[in-house]
Amino acid sequence: MTEIGPGADSLPPRSRGVIGLLEENCTVCMLCARECPDWCIYIESHKQALPGPGGGRPRVRNVLDRFAIDFSLCMYCGICIEACPYDALFWSPEFGYPEADITGLTHERDRLREWMSTVPPPPGHDAGAPLPREAQAAGPGTGPAPEPG
Amino acid sequence: MTPGEILAEAGRRLPGARCAAETGVAGAAGTAETVTMDVPRRDWLAALGFARDVAGCDFFDWLTAVDEQDEGFAIVVHLYSLGSGQHLLVRTLVPREDPALPSATGLFRGAGWAERETHEMFGVVFDGHPGLAPLLLPDGFEGHPLRKDFPLAARAAQEWPGAREPGEREAPERSRRRLVPPGVPEGWPPP
Repeated sequence: MTEIGPGADSLPPRSRGVIGLLEENCTVCMLCARECPDWCIYIESHKQALPGPGGGRPRVRNVLDRFAIDFSLCMYCGICIEACPYDALFWSPEFGYPEADITGLTHERDRLREWMSTVPPPPGHDAGAPLPREAQAAGPGTGPAPEPG
Repeated sequence: MTPGEILAEAGRRLPGARCAAETGVAGAAGTAETVTMDVPRRDWLAALGFARDVAGCDFFDWLTAVDEQDEGFAIVVHLYSLGSGQHLLVRTLVPREDPALPSATGLFRGAGWAERETHEMFGVVFDGHPGLAPLLLPDGFEGHPLRKDFPLAARAAQEWPGAREPGEREAPERSRRRLVPPGVPEGWPPP
């Protein structure tokens, strides 16, 4: 008998369904697009000069024009999320985004932003897991408490 | 047979083979030791016969090849003993200019499909195979797609999205430092 599978909310922690983009954190460094083994992240940007503080030299910053992930090519390896130094990319467990037309699987920045609302808070440390290195260096009693159970 | 017994017996019967027992090879479950046997090409069938009849590894799991470039092609067979749970990898190296090996179908009938796939993907010829026709590739496909010198059409057809610099609208014609996609060798794909 056919059963409806579980929803994204009943999946194990760290399930990989779709990738969300927190645009404010993106500096257009291109690291994710360069590390992507599938070449499925498309980024376009331009430079914008802002007047420097107190009439100083103008500051140039990169402005994101396009950020798209082609989920018809993506193999869900998560290298882009690992590579991002600014925490702009996140895993969401949502997997329900089928398309009749393959081009619809290219999610542009607005759609990637919508996935951010489905990103769960990071799970706590497993019971018995070693403390993070930072907490080890800081000394006993300073690390996060392990999840009960 | 225990891994130690297999090693001792293989040393006696197959003097050309280099054998070892390692843990964590071929995804073997738990801490079971996998025996590996590297044999010269002329001992290929003798080694497989030894594995099946003497070492008791009578379950043929898979056969495939690895493109070792200048060294040739490594052919790897994974065998398993349903009785003792022993894993065994048999490996040999065939030269690039003459990638031929006697077929193992006389010992393991299930090797037929694996050899057909290895034939079409790597161009390795298995002498004595009953029908070495392509298995997966479409009719008329030219080349051996799992060889490392096989150009990847998708990489030639598409521009690398990482070639742009931050803040640049177009990929630079002549960049100050030429960026190469990670894992793609210089001058790829070949013209």
